[in-house]
Amino acid sequence: MRMCVALRRVLLGGLLLAAANTYAGERQVSLDWLKTVAFAAHQTDYSGVFVYQYDNRIETSRIIHVVESDSEYEKLESLDGPKREIIRHHGQVWCYINHKMVQVDSQQVRGRFPSLLPERLSALSSNYLIKEAGMERVAGYNTQVILFQPRDNLRYAHKIWAHTDSGLLLKAAVLNDKKQVIEQYAFTQLQIGGNIDRSWVGAKDFAGYDAGLPVSPETAMGGTTINSGWVVDTLPAGFKKTREIQRPMRGKHAPVIQIVYSDGLGAISVFIEPDDGDEDDVDGLTSRGAVSLYHKVLDKHLITAVGEVPPRTVMQALDSVRYNGK
Amino acid sequence: MKKEISALMDGELFEDEAENLFDQIKRDPATHKDWEIYHLIGDVLRQPEYIHCDLSAKVRERMQDEPTVLAPRGRAVNQKARAIALSAAASLAAVGVVAWMSLQVSPEAAPQMAMQQPALRPASAQIQPKSNDYLMAHQEFSPSIDMNGGASYIRTVSYSTDEK
Repeated sequence: MRMCVALRRVLLGGLLLAAANTYAGERQVSLDWLKTVAFAAHQTDYSGVFVYQYDNRIETSRIIHVVESDSEYEKLESLDGPKREIIRHHGQVWCYINHKMVQVDSQQVRGRFPSLLPERLSALSSNYLIKEAGMERVAGYNTQVILFQPRDNLRYAHKIWAHTDSGLLLKAAVLNDKKQVIEQYAFTQLQIGGNIDRSWVGAKDFAGYDAGLPVSPETAMGGTTINSGWVVDTLPAGFKKTREIQRPMRGKHAPVIQIVYSDGLGAISVFIEPDDGDEDDVDGLTSRGAVSLYHKVLDKHLITAVGEVPPRTVMQALDSVRYNGK
Repeated sequence: MKKEISALMDGELFEDEAENLFDQIKRDPATHKDWEIYHLIGDVLRQPEYIHCDLSAKVRERMQDEPTVLAPRGRAVNQKARAIALSAAASLAAVGVVAWMSLQVSPEAAPQMAMQQPALRPASAQIQPKSNDYLMAHQEFSPSIDMNGGASYIRTVSYSTDEK
């Protein structure tokens, strides 16, 4: 009986708390401010150390981001474990592995500005309730907290802490439906603007690691756009196809089809390739931080769904994959 | 009786009363069950990361319905493949259940299961190293790159940790 009373008390307390929260943070966030935040990450010079935490692990990295006349340069360096360095410039990525710089992969060459454009931002607000959640101090700076609360339980909530002056993101967290943090990163030390080390910037510096080599257009594009005939029937509302490509993948003989769907904040990629009967390609669900991955062999094809969404969402997406071509 | 168990858990019984109650819990399965349930309730209220829960009976039941997976390969699961902790939600999903359970069942249930399912291996608890390639390929096109700008390769950096 005593437990019952206690239970009721806790539940009631929780309800009151939840109600109070909705009233406190009801202010909607203006799209202009979100745009500032999105642009700040690309237009600001900064240098700092941040921690990234997922599952039960924490990793520390140093980042330097500078904007030169032509475009952004960014250097990411792991401070724990074996030394790893990534340099990103104009859509190309170099990785420092075994004492030499190699071009590991290239994302689609993007324009100077992020693709978080006004129309995509308004789509965002139809999938998420975006609201201000107060002011907090992060890495010595004042930040505005913004909460992206999903309108269904098929995606995660996102919480970001943006520097009130520049709009730079100083902390970001992904929360599950129990409001538990499943992945987050936060700056612990940060310098915005001012005198930032640029000695590594410029092709000269990583030309030594064969950065000067021309990249074939196919690699630079991260694959070729195709119409594969594969469709995914069940996706949460608001997920739109953003890309359908055929791409080479390490360790695969045949090119892999990748279809990407996004709701503006999270994305789901579906990979389709012929099943080569490899015993390692077992069906199953795994997850790391906010990312869920689900493998399944369907009708002689190995299908993989990956996304920053709850496990049930990738499972649902994969189970609805079908071939609708010729 | 339930009142007494609750009082015992709150540390409100005298020593001799507690002794008696412990005796009873040991002897009477129903009381023992109550004792477990009360602890479970307490755990749930405190919202810990993991909740102890005896699932062996349910697992046994589910195992009866499971088809035997014939996996003739005898070698141990690739050691290089890093195990990734499944989130609680994921492991409760039907697919994950079998694999996860095989790690969780109480010792007495284990031999029985081993007899029924000699070749079952915990497939979904292992992430294959090549999964990293999918994660990285996905990462390229994820909108988090717009939002996080610079820090968008964090995941990539940590993924590559596991590859070597």
